[in-house]
Amino acid sequence: MSQHPRKRSRSAHLILMVPATTLLVAGCSDNTVPAVVYRDVAECTQQHPELAAQCQIDYNQARQQHAQVAPRYMSRAECEADFGYNQCEVAPYQHSGGSYFMPLMMGYLAAQMFNRPQPMIVTGGVADSIRGANGYVPAQPLYRARDDDTFRTANNEPVARRSGNVSVNPDSVRSLENGHITRSGGFGGTAARMSGSGS
Amino acid sequence: MQRRRIAERPDWRDYAESVGFDYHTIDGEPYWIDDAYYQFSWTQIEDQLESATSELHAMAMELVPEVLRSDELLAKLQIPTAYWDYLANSWQRQQPSLYGRMDLSYDGRLPPKLLELNYDTPTSLFEAGFFQWMWLEQQFEAGLLPEATDQFNSIQEKLIWAFGGMKLPRPLHFSCVDQSSEDRGNVNYLMDCAAQAGLATRFVATESIGEAGGQFVDDDGAPIKALFKLYPWEFMLQEDFAPVLLTSPTQFIEPPWKLLLSNKGILPLLWQRHPGHPNLLECQFDDGSAPLPPGWARKPIYSREGANVELRDLAGNRSAEDGPYNDGGFVRQRLNPLPVFTDAGSGKQVHALVGSWVIGGEAAGIGLREDDSPITRNTSRFVPHVILD
Repeated sequence: MSQHPRKRSRSAHLILMVPATTLLVAGCSDNTVPAVVYRDVAECTQQHPELAAQCQIDYNQARQQHAQVAPRYMSRAECEADFGYNQCEVAPYQHSGGSYFMPLMMGYLAAQMFNRPQPMIVTGGVADSIRGANGYVPAQPLYRARDDDTFRTANNEPVARRSGNVSVNPDSVRSLENGHITRSGGFGGTAARMSGSGS
Repeated sequence: MQRRRIAERPDWRDYAESVGFDYHTIDGEPYWIDDAYYQFSWTQIEDQLESATSELHAMAMELVPEVLRSDELLAKLQIPTAYWDYLANSWQRQQPSLYGRMDLSYDGRLPPKLLELNYDTPTSLFEAGFFQWMWLEQQFEAGLLPEATDQFNSIQEKLIWAFGGMKLPRPLHFSCVDQSSEDRGNVNYLMDCAAQAGLATRFVATESIGEAGGQFVDDDGAPIKALFKLYPWEFMLQEDFAPVLLTSPTQFIEPPWKLLLSNKGILPLLWQRHPGHPNLLECQFDDGSAPLPPGWARKPIYSREGANVELRDLAGNRSAEDGPYNDGGFVRQRLNPLPVFTDAGSGKQVHALVGSWVIGGEAAGIGLREDDSPITRNTSRFVPHVILD
Protein backbone atom coordinates (compact mmCIF):
# COMPACT_ATOMS: atom_id res chain seq x y z
CA MET A 1 0.00 0.00 0.00
CA SER A 2 1.03 3.55 -0.53
CA GLN A 3 2.54 5.57 2.28
CA HIS A 4 1.04 8.75 0.86
CA PRO A 5 -1.85 10.47 2.58
CA ARG A 6 -5.09 9.77 0.79
CA LYS A 7 -5.79 12.49 -1.75
CA ARG A 8 -9.42 11.88 -2.50
CA SER A 9 -12.56 12.60 -0.50
CA ARG A 10 -13.33 9.92 2.05
CA SER A 11 -16.88 9.79 0.82
CA ALA A 12 -19.01 11.58 -1.69
CA HIS A 13 -22.75 11.32 -1.59
CA LEU A 14 -25.58 13.56 -2.66
CA ILE A 15 -28.65 14.45 -0.65
CA LEU A 16 -30.57 16.85 -2.85
CA MET A 17 -29.67 15.98 -6.41
CA VAL A 18 -30.57 12.34 -6.05
CA PRO A 19 -34.12 12.74 -4.75
CA ALA A 20 -34.86 15.35 -7.38
CA THR A 21 -33.83 13.01 -10.15
CA THR A 22 -35.57 10.01 -8.68
CA LEU A 23 -38.83 11.82 -8.88
CA LEU A 24 -38.12 12.91 -12.39
CA VAL A 25 -37.40 9.34 -13.42
CA ALA A 26 -40.44 7.99 -11.66
CA GLY A 27 -42.53 10.89 -12.84
CA CYS A 28 -45.00 9.15 -15.10
CA SER A 29 -45.38 5.76 -13.48
CA ASP A 30 -48.51 4.46 -11.78
CA ASN A 31 -46.44 2.29 -9.50
CA THR A 32 -46.48 2.63 -5.81
CA VAL A 33 -43.40 1.85 -3.80
CA PRO A 34 -43.04 0.65 -0.23
CA ALA A 35 -41.93 3.19 2.34
CA VAL A 36 -42.15 3.78 6.07
CA VAL A 37 -43.38 6.64 8.19
CA TYR A 38 -41.39 7.26 11.36
CA ARG A 39 -42.25 9.82 13.99
CA ASP A 40 -38.58 10.26 14.87
CA VAL A 41 -35.19 8.58 14.82
CA ALA A 42 -35.92 6.72 18.04
CA GLU A 43 -38.86 4.94 16.49
CA CYS A 44 -36.72 3.85 13.55
CA THR A 45 -33.83 2.75 15.75
CA GLN A 46 -36.18 0.77 17.97
CA GLN A 47 -37.34 -1.22 14.98
CA HIS A 48 -33.90 -1.57 13.41
CA PRO A 49 -31.29 -1.34 16.16
CA GLU A 50 -28.64 -2.71 13.82
CA LEU A 51 -29.37 0.04 11.29
CA ALA A 52 -29.29 3.01 13.63
CA ALA A 53 -26.83 4.79 11.38
CA GLN A 54 -29.18 4.55 8.40
CA CYS A 55 -32.06 5.79 10.57
CA GLN A 56 -29.99 8.84 11.38
CA ILE A 57 -29.01 9.41 7.74
CA ASP A 58 -32.65 9.31 6.63
CA TYR A 59 -33.71 11.59 9.44
CA ASN A 60 -30.94 14.09 8.67
CA GLN A 61 -31.94 14.11 5.05
CA ALA A 62 -35.54 14.83 6.02
CA ARG A 63 -34.44 17.61 8.38
CA GLN A 64 -32.38 19.16 5.60
CA GLN A 65 -35.39 19.09 3.33
CA HIS A 66 -37.61 20.47 6.08
CA ALA A 67 -35.83 23.82 6.15
CA GLN A 68 -36.21 24.03 2.41
CA VAL A 69 -39.63 22.68 1.68
CA ALA A 70 -41.86 23.29 4.69
CA PRO A 71 -44.90 25.42 3.89
CA ARG A 72 -43.98 28.97 4.67
CA TYR A 73 -46.09 31.62 6.34
CA MET A 74 -45.71 35.34 6.77
CA SER A 75 -46.67 35.21 10.43
CA ARG A 76 -46.85 32.80 13.32
CA ALA A 77 -50.60 33.40 13.59
CA GLU A 78 -51.20 32.33 10.01
CA CYS A 79 -49.10 29.23 10.51
CA GLU A 80 -50.79 28.31 13.78
CA ALA A 81 -54.19 28.76 12.17
CA ASP A 82 -53.30 25.80 9.98
CA PHE A 83 -51.14 23.74 12.29
CA GLY A 84 -52.25 24.59 15.79
CA TYR A 85 -50.95 26.46 18.80
CA ASN A 86 -47.23 26.00 19.40
CA GLN A 87 -46.91 23.82 16.32
CA CYS A 88 -44.88 26.30 14.31
CA GLU A 89 -41.31 27.49 14.36
CA VAL A 90 -39.33 30.34 12.91
CA ALA A 91 -38.15 29.46 9.40
CA PRO A 92 -34.48 30.06 8.58
CA TYR A 93 -35.22 32.87 6.16
CA GLN A 94 -36.91 36.23 6.29
CA HIS A 95 -39.23 38.49 4.41
CA SER A 96 -38.95 42.25 4.51
CA GLY A 97 -41.19 42.47 7.59
CA GLY A 98 -39.53 39.76 9.66
CA SER A 99 -39.17 36.01 9.79
CA TYR A 100 -41.22 33.45 7.97
CA PHE A 101 -42.81 30.69 10.00
CA MET A 102 -43.14 27.02 9.18
CA PRO A 103 -44.84 24.06 10.86
CA LEU A 104 -42.81 21.67 12.98
CA MET A 105 -41.67 18.48 11.28
CA MET A 106 -43.87 15.80 12.84
CA GLY A 107 -42.30 12.76 11.25
CA TYR A 108 -40.50 11.60 8.17
CA LEU A 109 -40.93 9.28 5.26
CA ALA A 110 -38.12 6.88 4.34
CA ALA A 111 -37.61 3.89 2.11
CA GLN A 112 -38.19 0.53 3.78
CA MET A 113 -34.97 -0.82 5.17
CA PHE A 114 -35.31 -4.23 3.54
CA ASN A 115 -36.69 -3.03 0.27
CA ARG A 116 -33.71 -1.04 -0.78
CA PRO A 117 -32.08 -2.29 -3.92
CA GLN A 118 -28.55 -1.52 -2.72
CA PRO A 119 -26.72 -2.22 0.50
CA MET A 120 -27.71 0.68 2.69
CA ILE A 121 -24.51 1.74 4.30
CA VAL A 122 -21.37 1.52 2.30
CA THR A 123 -18.10 3.14 3.11
CA GLY A 124 -17.65 5.89 0.63
CA GLY A 125 -21.32 6.49 0.23
CA VAL A 126 -21.60 4.73 -3.10
CA ALA A 127 -24.89 3.06 -2.42
CA ASP A 128 -26.24 6.21 -0.94
CA SER A 129 -25.66 7.95 -4.21
CA ILE A 130 -26.77 5.24 -6.56
CA ARG A 131 -29.95 4.33 -4.83
CA GLY A 132 -31.91 7.22 -6.23
CA ALA A 133 -31.70 5.64 -9.64
CA ASN A 134 -33.78 2.73 -8.52
CA GLY A 135 -37.01 4.57 -8.04
CA TYR A 136 -37.90 4.60 -4.40
CA VAL A 137 -38.81 7.49 -2.23
CA PRO A 138 -36.19 9.77 -0.79
CA ALA A 139 -36.39 10.55 2.91
CA GLN A 140 -38.44 13.66 3.48
CA PRO A 141 -40.31 15.53 6.20
CA LEU A 142 -43.96 14.99 7.10
CA TYR A 143 -46.41 17.38 8.70
CA ARG A 144 -49.72 17.20 10.55
CA ALA A 145 -52.24 19.98 10.26
CA ARG A 146 -54.58 21.05 13.06
CA ASP A 147 -57.74 18.93 13.24
CA ASP A 148 -56.18 16.44 10.85
CA ASP A 149 -54.61 13.22 12.09
CA THR A 150 -52.94 12.51 8.74
CA PHE A 151 -49.22 12.75 8.04
CA ARG A 152 -48.81 14.81 4.90
CA THR A 153 -45.87 15.73 2.71
CA ALA A 154 -44.77 19.32 2.23
CA ASN A 155 -46.99 19.29 -0.81
CA ASN A 156 -50.04 18.40 1.27
CA GLU A 157 -50.22 14.84 -0.06
CA PRO A 158 -51.66 12.50 2.55
CA VAL A 159 -49.32 9.62 3.39
CA ALA A 160 -50.65 7.80 6.43
CA ARG A 161 -52.60 8.23 9.65
CA ARG A 162 -49.99 6.58 11.81
CA SER A 163 -46.39 5.62 11.64
CA GLY A 164 -45.45 2.33 10.00
CA ASN A 165 -45.32 0.79 6.54
CA VAL A 166 -47.04 2.58 3.68
CA SER A 167 -47.21 2.46 -0.07
CA VAL A 168 -46.74 5.74 -1.83
CA ASN A 169 -46.83 6.86 -5.38
CA PRO A 170 -43.52 8.51 -6.20
CA ASP A 171 -45.41 10.96 -8.42
CA SER A 172 -47.15 12.38 -5.45
CA VAL A 173 -43.97 12.93 -3.50
CA ARG A 174 -42.76 16.16 -4.85
CA SER A 175 -39.19 17.36 -5.02
CA LEU A 176 -38.65 20.90 -3.88
CA GLU A 177 -35.20 21.19 -5.22
CA ASN A 178 -35.98 24.60 -6.64
CA GLY A 179 -37.30 26.07 -3.44
CA HIS A 180 -40.71 26.05 -5.06
CA ILE A 181 -42.61 27.67 -2.28
CA THR A 182 -45.65 29.84 -2.02
CA ARG A 183 -45.49 33.00 -0.02
CA SER A 184 -48.09 31.79 2.37
CA GLY A 185 -48.97 28.30 1.27
CA GLY A 186 -49.00 24.82 2.63
CA PHE A 187 -51.44 22.59 4.39
CA GLY A 188 -54.84 22.99 5.82
CA GLY A 189 -57.62 25.25 4.70
CA THR A 190 -55.69 28.43 4.06
CA ALA A 191 -52.93 26.73 2.16
CA ALA A 192 -55.29 24.58 0.13
CA ARG A 193 -57.25 27.60 -1.04
CA MET A 194 -54.15 29.46 -2.01
CA SER A 195 -52.28 26.72 -3.80
CA GLY A 196 -55.23 24.85 -5.20
CA SER A 197 -53.68 21.61 -4.11
CA GLY A 198 -55.77 20.37 -1.21
CA SER A 199 -57.90 17.27 -1.07
CA MET B 1 1.52 11.14 -16.93
CA GLN B 2 -0.03 8.68 -19.33
CA ARG B 3 -3.35 8.27 -21.07
CA ARG B 4 -4.77 4.80 -20.65
CA ARG B 5 -7.82 2.90 -21.79
CA ILE B 6 -10.21 1.06 -19.49
CA ALA B 7 -13.54 -0.70 -19.97
CA GLU B 8 -16.34 1.79 -19.56
CA ARG B 9 -18.81 1.22 -16.75
CA PRO B 10 -21.93 -0.54 -17.96
CA ASP B 11 -24.95 1.78 -17.74
CA TRP B 12 -22.85 4.80 -16.78
CA ARG B 13 -25.10 7.03 -18.87
CA ASP B 14 -28.18 5.97 -16.93
CA TYR B 15 -26.31 6.50 -13.72
CA ALA B 16 -25.14 9.94 -14.89
CA GLU B 17 -28.70 10.95 -15.69
CA SER B 18 -29.96 9.63 -12.36
CA VAL B 19 -27.69 12.09 -10.55
CA GLY B 20 -28.60 15.01 -12.78
CA PHE B 21 -25.54 14.83 -15.07
CA ASP B 22 -27.63 15.07 -18.21
CA TYR B 23 -24.93 16.95 -20.11
CA HIS B 24 -22.60 13.93 -20.31
CA THR B 25 -23.19 14.17 -24.06
CA ILE B 26 -23.46 17.60 -25.68
CA ASP B 27 -25.00 17.97 -29.15
CA GLY B 28 -24.42 14.27 -29.81
CA GLU B 29 -20.72 14.51 -28.94
CA PRO B 30 -19.32 12.88 -25.81
CA TYR B 31 -18.47 15.30 -23.01
CA TRP B 32 -17.71 12.76 -20.29
CA ILE B 33 -15.17 10.08 -21.27
CA ASP B 34 -15.70 6.86 -19.33
CA ASP B 35 -13.31 4.51 -21.13
CA ALA B 36 -10.02 6.33 -20.64
CA TYR B 37 -8.12 8.02 -17.86
CA TYR B 38 -4.91 9.91 -17.19
CA GLN B 39 -2.49 8.31 -14.80
CA PHE B 40 -0.16 10.48 -12.71
CA SER B 41 2.64 9.51 -10.36
CA TRP B 42 2.63 10.66 -6.74
CA THR B 43 5.58 12.90 -7.49
CA GLN B 44 3.74 14.56 -10.35
CA ILE B 45 0.70 15.22 -8.18
CA GLU B 46 2.34 16.28 -4.93
CA ASP B 47 5.60 17.86 -6.01
CA GLN B 48 4.41 19.49 -9.20
CA LEU B 49 0.66 20.03 -9.51
CA GLU B 50 -0.36 20.46 -5.89
CA SER B 51 2.57 22.63 -4.88
CA ALA B 52 2.33 24.78 -8.03
CA THR B 53 -1.38 25.30 -7.36
CA SER B 54 -0.77 26.43 -3.79
CA GLU B 55 2.03 28.75 -4.79
CA LEU B 56 0.22 30.30 -7.74
CA HIS B 57 -2.86 30.84 -5.59
CA ALA B 58 -0.81 32.61 -2.94
CA MET B 59 0.85 34.82 -5.56
CA ALA B 60 -2.54 35.73 -7.02
CA MET B 61 -4.03 36.54 -3.62
CA GLU B 62 -1.07 38.82 -2.83
CA LEU B 63 -1.97 40.88 -5.86
CA VAL B 64 -5.51 41.67 -4.74
CA PRO B 65 -4.77 44.36 -2.14
CA GLU B 66 -2.06 45.82 -4.36
CA VAL B 67 -4.43 46.24 -7.30
CA LEU B 68 -7.20 47.60 -5.07
CA ARG B 69 -4.84 50.32 -3.82
CA SER B 70 -3.80 51.39 -7.31
CA ASP B 71 -6.03 53.46 -9.59
CA GLU B 72 -3.61 52.74 -12.39
CA LEU B 73 -3.91 48.98 -12.05
CA LEU B 74 -7.70 49.07 -11.64
CA ALA B 75 -7.89 51.04 -14.87
CA LYS B 76 -5.49 48.65 -16.57
CA LEU B 77 -7.80 45.75 -15.65
CA GLN B 78 -10.75 47.73 -17.02
CA ILE B 79 -12.71 47.69 -13.79
CA PRO B 80 -15.53 50.26 -14.10
CA THR B 81 -14.66 53.27 -11.94
CA ALA B 82 -18.06 53.36 -10.26
CA TYR B 83 -17.33 49.99 -8.61
CA TRP B 84 -13.77 50.47 -7.40
CA ASP B 85 -14.92 51.15 -3.85
CA TYR B 86 -17.42 48.32 -4.03
CA LEU B 87 -14.66 45.84 -4.82
CA ALA B 88 -12.36 47.31 -2.21
CA ASN B 89 -15.05 47.11 0.47
CA SER B 90 -15.70 43.47 -0.26
CA TRP B 91 -11.99 42.78 0.28
CA GLN B 92 -11.74 44.88 3.44
CA ARG B 93 -14.70 43.02 4.89
CA GLN B 94 -12.93 39.79 4.07
CA GLN B 95 -15.90 38.44 2.19
CA PRO B 96 -14.91 34.83 1.66
CA SER B 97 -14.24 33.09 -1.60
CA LEU B 98 -15.48 29.56 -2.09
CA TYR B 99 -13.51 28.31 -5.05
CA GLY B 100 -11.55 28.82 -8.21
CA ARG B 101 -9.91 26.77 -10.90
CA MET B 102 -6.58 27.45 -12.56
CA ASP B 103 -5.78 26.01 -15.94
CA LEU B 104 -2.33 24.53 -16.24
CA SER B 105 -0.30 23.35 -19.18
CA TYR B 106 1.52 20.28 -17.88
CA ASP B 107 3.18 17.39 -19.66
CA GLY B 108 4.22 15.31 -16.65
CA ARG B 109 7.84 16.44 -16.80
CA LEU B 110 8.40 20.19 -16.81
CA PRO B 111 6.85 22.42 -14.12
CA PRO B 112 3.17 23.17 -14.76
CA LYS B 113 2.61 26.55 -16.40
CA LEU B 114 -0.31 28.77 -15.51
CA LEU B 115 -2.45 29.53 -18.55
CA GLU B 116 -5.19 31.39 -16.72
CA LEU B 117 -7.23 31.70 -13.55
CA ASN B 118 -10.93 30.89 -13.73
CA TYR B 119 -11.63 32.44 -10.39
CA ASP B 120 -15.15 33.83 -10.69
CA THR B 121 -17.43 31.31 -12.42
CA PRO B 122 -15.48 28.08 -12.83
CA THR B 123 -17.47 25.05 -13.95
CA SER B 124 -16.90 21.30 -14.45
CA LEU B 125 -17.06 21.07 -10.68
CA PHE B 126 -19.61 18.26 -10.46
CA GLU B 127 -17.67 16.24 -13.00
CA ALA B 128 -14.43 16.70 -11.07
CA GLY B 129 -15.69 16.53 -7.49
CA PHE B 130 -18.36 13.87 -7.70
CA PHE B 131 -18.60 11.99 -10.97
CA GLN B 132 -14.87 11.45 -11.33
CA TRP B 133 -14.73 10.22 -7.72
CA MET B 134 -17.58 7.81 -8.35
CA TRP B 135 -15.93 6.60 -11.56
CA LEU B 136 -12.88 5.51 -9.55
CA GLU B 137 -15.02 3.92 -6.84
CA GLN B 138 -16.95 1.91 -9.40
CA GLN B 139 -13.81 0.90 -11.29
CA PHE B 140 -12.52 -0.43 -7.95
CA GLU B 141 -15.73 -2.41 -7.55
CA ALA B 142 -15.33 -3.74 -11.08
CA GLY B 143 -11.82 -4.87 -10.17
CA LEU B 144 -10.25 -2.87 -12.99
CA LEU B 145 -7.94 -0.73 -10.88
CA PRO B 146 -5.65 -1.83 -8.04
CA GLU B 147 -6.48 -0.87 -4.46
CA ALA B 148 -3.41 1.37 -4.22
CA THR B 149 -4.91 3.70 -6.81
CA ASP B 150 -5.85 7.16 -5.59
CA GLN B 151 -7.12 10.38 -7.13
CA PHE B 152 -6.20 14.02 -6.49
CA ASN B 153 -9.73 14.96 -5.61
CA SER B 154 -10.90 16.06 -2.18
CA ILE B 155 -13.09 18.62 -3.93
CA GLN B 156 -16.40 17.59 -2.41
CA GLU B 157 -14.96 17.19 1.06
CA LYS B 158 -13.41 20.65 0.86
CA LEU B 159 -16.57 22.24 -0.56
CA ILE B 160 -18.59 21.00 2.40
CA TRP B 161 -15.87 22.11 4.79
CA ALA B 162 -15.62 25.54 3.14
CA PHE B 163 -19.39 26.11 3.16
CA GLY B 164 -19.49 25.06 6.80
CA GLY B 165 -16.85 27.61 7.74
CA MET B 166 -18.36 30.60 5.98
CA LYS B 167 -20.10 33.20 8.06
CA LEU B 168 -23.08 33.92 5.84
CA PRO B 169 -26.52 35.34 6.36
CA ARG B 170 -29.16 32.66 5.79
CA PRO B 171 -30.58 31.28 3.69
CA LEU B 172 -27.98 31.10 0.99
CA HIS B 173 -29.54 31.64 -2.43
CA PHE B 174 -28.01 30.04 -5.51
CA SER B 175 -28.52 31.26 -9.03
CA CYS B 176 -27.54 30.62 -12.60
CA VAL B 177 -29.17 31.36 -15.90
CA ASP B 178 -32.28 29.37 -16.55
CA GLN B 179 -31.45 27.62 -19.80
CA SER B 180 -28.04 26.04 -19.26
CA SER B 181 -28.20 22.46 -18.01
CA GLU B 182 -24.46 22.48 -17.41
CA ASP B 183 -24.61 25.57 -15.24
CA ARG B 184 -27.62 24.16 -13.45
CA GLY B 185 -25.79 20.89 -12.82
CA ASN B 186 -22.92 22.78 -11.23
CA VAL B 187 -25.25 24.88 -9.10
CA ASN B 188 -27.29 21.87 -7.99
CA TYR B 189 -24.09 20.22 -6.90
CA LEU B 190 -23.01 23.27 -4.91
CA MET B 191 -26.44 23.46 -3.28
CA ASP B 192 -26.12 19.82 -2.36
CA CYS B 193 -22.73 20.41 -0.75
CA ALA B 194 -24.04 23.49 1.08
CA ALA B 195 -27.00 21.49 2.39
CA GLN B 196 -24.61 18.80 3.58
CA ALA B 197 -22.78 21.55 5.45
CA GLY B 198 -26.05 22.43 7.17
CA LEU B 199 -26.93 25.59 5.24
CA ALA B 200 -30.48 26.37 4.21
CA THR B 201 -30.41 26.85 0.44
CA ARG B 202 -32.75 28.28 -2.18
CA PHE B 203 -32.57 28.59 -5.93
CA VAL B 204 -33.48 31.62 -7.96
CA ALA B 205 -32.83 31.88 -11.68
CA THR B 206 -30.55 34.79 -12.44
CA GLU B 207 -33.28 36.23 -14.67
CA SER B 208 -35.78 36.04 -11.84
CA ILE B 209 -33.82 38.05 -9.33
CA GLY B 210 -35.80 41.15 -8.48
CA GLU B 211 -35.25 44.39 -6.70
CA ALA B 212 -37.38 45.94 -3.99
CA GLY B 213 -36.42 49.14 -2.22
CA GLY B 214 -32.81 48.88 -3.29
CA GLN B 215 -32.48 45.27 -2.18
CA PHE B 216 -32.26 42.12 -4.27
CA VAL B 217 -35.20 39.78 -3.76
CA ASP B 218 -36.04 36.30 -5.01
CA ASP B 219 -39.12 35.37 -7.01
CA ASP B 220 -41.12 35.19 -3.79
CA GLY B 221 -40.09 38.70 -2.89
CA ALA B 222 -37.90 37.44 -0.05
CA PRO B 223 -34.67 39.38 0.43
CA ILE B 224 -31.56 37.78 -0.99
CA LYS B 225 -29.06 38.17 1.80
CA ALA B 226 -26.40 35.88 0.45
CA LEU B 227 -26.14 34.75 -3.14
CA PHE B 228 -23.97 32.25 -4.91
CA LYS B 229 -24.11 33.44 -8.52
CA LEU B 230 -22.78 31.45 -11.42
CA TYR B 231 -22.73 34.60 -13.48
CA PRO B 232 -19.66 36.70 -14.27
CA TRP B 233 -19.06 39.87 -12.33
CA GLU B 234 -18.05 41.72 -15.45
CA PHE B 235 -21.51 41.05 -16.89
CA MET B 236 -23.26 42.08 -13.70
CA LEU B 237 -21.43 45.40 -13.57
CA GLN B 238 -22.70 46.26 -17.06
CA GLU B 239 -26.33 45.33 -16.67
CA ASP B 240 -29.42 47.25 -15.56
CA PHE B 241 -29.26 46.04 -11.99
CA ALA B 242 -25.65 47.06 -11.46
CA PRO B 243 -26.50 50.12 -9.34
CA VAL B 244 -28.54 47.94 -6.98
CA LEU B 245 -25.28 46.26 -6.01
CA LEU B 246 -24.31 49.47 -4.25
CA THR B 247 -27.44 49.52 -2.07
CA SER B 248 -28.35 45.88 -1.51
CA PRO B 249 -26.73 44.30 1.54
CA THR B 250 -26.43 41.03 -0.36
CA GLN B 251 -23.20 39.11 0.23
CA PHE B 252 -21.97 37.38 -2.91
CA ILE B 253 -20.09 34.21 -3.63
CA GLU B 254 -17.77 34.64 -5.40
CA PRO B 255 -17.21 38.06 -3.79
CA PRO B 256 -16.76 41.19 -5.94
CA TRP B 257 -12.97 41.28 -5.45
CA LYS B 258 -12.74 38.02 -7.38
CA LEU B 259 -13.34 40.07 -10.52
CA LEU B 260 -9.68 41.08 -10.32
CA LEU B 261 -8.41 37.51 -10.37
CA SER B 262 -10.71 36.21 -13.10
CA ASN B 263 -9.37 38.96 -15.31
CA LYS B 264 -6.58 37.91 -17.68
CA GLY B 265 -4.85 41.21 -16.98
CA ILE B 266 -3.71 39.50 -13.80
CA LEU B 267 -1.34 37.35 -15.88
CA PRO B 268 1.06 40.14 -16.96
CA LEU B 269 0.93 41.55 -13.42
CA LEU B 270 1.98 38.19 -12.01
CA TRP B 271 4.83 37.98 -14.51
CA GLN B 272 6.01 41.53 -13.69
CA ARG B 273 6.20 40.64 -10.01
CA HIS B 274 7.67 37.17 -10.42
CA PRO B 275 9.62 37.26 -13.70
CA GLY B 276 11.01 33.88 -14.62
CA HIS B 277 8.91 31.99 -12.07
CA PRO B 278 8.86 28.33 -13.14
CA ASN B 279 5.06 28.14 -13.08
CA LEU B 280 4.47 31.36 -15.03
CA LEU B 281 4.63 32.16 -18.71
CA GLU B 282 5.96 35.48 -19.92
CA CYS B 283 2.99 37.77 -20.43
CA GLN B 284 2.32 41.36 -21.50
CA PHE B 285 -0.62 43.65 -22.04
CA ASP B 286 -1.45 43.88 -25.74
CA ASP B 287 -3.73 46.24 -27.63
CA GLY B 288 -4.51 43.65 -30.31
CA SER B 289 -3.37 45.85 -33.17
CA ALA B 290 -0.19 44.06 -34.30
CA PRO B 291 -0.16 40.59 -35.87
CA LEU B 292 0.67 37.92 -33.33
CA PRO B 293 4.31 36.81 -33.59
CA PRO B 294 5.13 33.07 -33.68
CA GLY B 295 5.30 31.38 -30.27
CA TRP B 296 2.67 33.54 -28.59
CA ALA B 297 -0.97 33.31 -27.55
CA ARG B 298 -3.33 36.28 -27.42
CA LYS B 299 -6.40 36.32 -25.17
CA PRO B 300 -8.93 39.04 -24.40
CA ILE B 301 -8.77 40.44 -20.85
CA TYR B 302 -12.33 39.25 -20.40
CA SER B 303 -13.16 36.02 -22.14
CA ARG B 304 -14.52 32.62 -21.30
CA GLU B 305 -14.27 29.09 -22.60
CA GLY B 306 -11.57 29.80 -25.15
CA ALA B 307 -13.52 32.47 -27.00
CA ASN B 308 -11.44 34.93 -29.05
CA VAL B 309 -8.21 33.18 -28.13
CA GLU B 310 -5.55 33.18 -30.85
CA LEU B 311 -2.42 31.01 -30.91
CA ARG B 312 0.60 31.07 -33.22
CA ASP B 313 3.06 28.23 -32.87
CA LEU B 314 6.78 28.53 -33.51
CA ALA B 315 6.32 27.44 -37.11
CA GLY B 316 3.90 30.32 -37.55
CA ASN B 317 0.73 28.19 -37.77
CA ARG B 318 -2.23 30.09 -36.42
CA SER B 319 -5.29 28.71 -34.62
CA ALA B 320 -8.08 30.84 -33.29
CA GLU B 321 -11.48 30.59 -31.69
CA ASP B 322 -14.16 33.05 -32.64
CA GLY B 323 -16.27 34.65 -30.01
CA PRO B 324 -17.97 37.73 -28.70
CA TYR B 325 -15.12 39.07 -26.56
CA ASN B 326 -13.34 41.36 -28.97
CA ASP B 327 -13.93 44.83 -27.66
CA GLY B 328 -11.69 44.95 -24.60
CA GLY B 329 -7.93 44.80 -24.30
CA PHE B 330 -5.79 41.72 -24.67
CA VAL B 331 -2.88 39.99 -23.08
CA ARG B 332 -0.14 38.26 -24.99
CA GLN B 333 1.29 35.17 -23.35
CA ARG B 334 4.27 33.01 -24.37
CA LEU B 335 2.86 29.90 -25.96
CA ASN B 336 3.29 26.70 -24.01
CA PRO B 337 1.43 24.18 -26.15
CA LEU B 338 -0.69 21.62 -24.34
CA PRO B 339 0.80 18.11 -24.34
CA VAL B 340 -0.52 15.79 -27.01
CA PHE B 341 -1.60 12.23 -26.21
CA THR B 342 -2.77 9.46 -28.47
CA ASP B 343 -6.05 7.69 -27.88
CA ALA B 344 -5.03 4.03 -27.92
CA GLY B 345 -8.35 2.97 -29.42
CA SER B 346 -8.76 5.37 -32.32
CA GLY B 347 -5.18 6.52 -32.75
CA LYS B 348 -6.51 10.07 -32.58
CA GLN B 349 -4.34 12.82 -31.09
CA VAL B 350 -5.73 14.88 -28.24
CA HIS B 351 -4.55 17.99 -26.40
CA ALA B 352 -4.88 17.75 -22.61
CA LEU B 353 -5.35 20.54 -20.07
CA VAL B 354 -5.17 20.24 -16.28
CA GLY B 355 -7.77 22.23 -14.37
CA SER B 356 -6.59 22.55 -10.77
CA TRP B 357 -9.13 23.48 -8.11
CA VAL B 358 -8.62 25.74 -5.13
CA ILE B 359 -11.37 25.44 -2.53
CA GLY B 360 -11.47 27.47 0.66
CA GLY B 361 -7.93 28.59 -0.20
CA GLU B 362 -6.51 25.08 -0.51
CA ALA B 363 -5.43 23.00 -3.49
CA ALA B 364 -8.23 20.45 -3.71
CA GLY B 365 -7.85 18.36 -6.83
CA ILE B 366 -7.80 18.30 -10.59
CA GLY B 367 -9.95 17.59 -13.61
CA LEU B 368 -8.63 16.99 -17.11
CA ARG B 369 -10.14 18.31 -20.30
CA GLU B 370 -9.05 17.23 -23.74
CA ASP B 371 -9.76 18.49 -27.20
CA ASP B 372 -8.83 17.78 -30.79
CA SER B 373 -7.89 21.46 -31.02
CA PRO B 374 -4.98 23.06 -29.11
CA ILE B 375 -7.48 25.52 -27.59
CA THR B 376 -9.62 24.17 -24.77
CA ARG B 377 -13.28 25.08 -25.22
CA ASN B 378 -16.52 24.56 -23.36
CA THR B 379 -17.13 21.38 -25.36
CA SER B 380 -13.72 19.91 -24.51
CA ARG B 381 -14.13 16.42 -23.09
CA PHE B 382 -13.73 15.65 -19.41
CA VAL B 383 -11.49 12.64 -18.68
CA PRO B 384 -11.02 11.14 -15.20
CA HIS B 385 -7.59 10.63 -13.68
CA VAL B 386 -5.85 8.45 -11.13
CA ILE B 387 -2.67 8.54 -9.08
CA LEU B 388 -0.69 5.31 -9.25
CA ASP B 389 3.05 4.80 -9.11
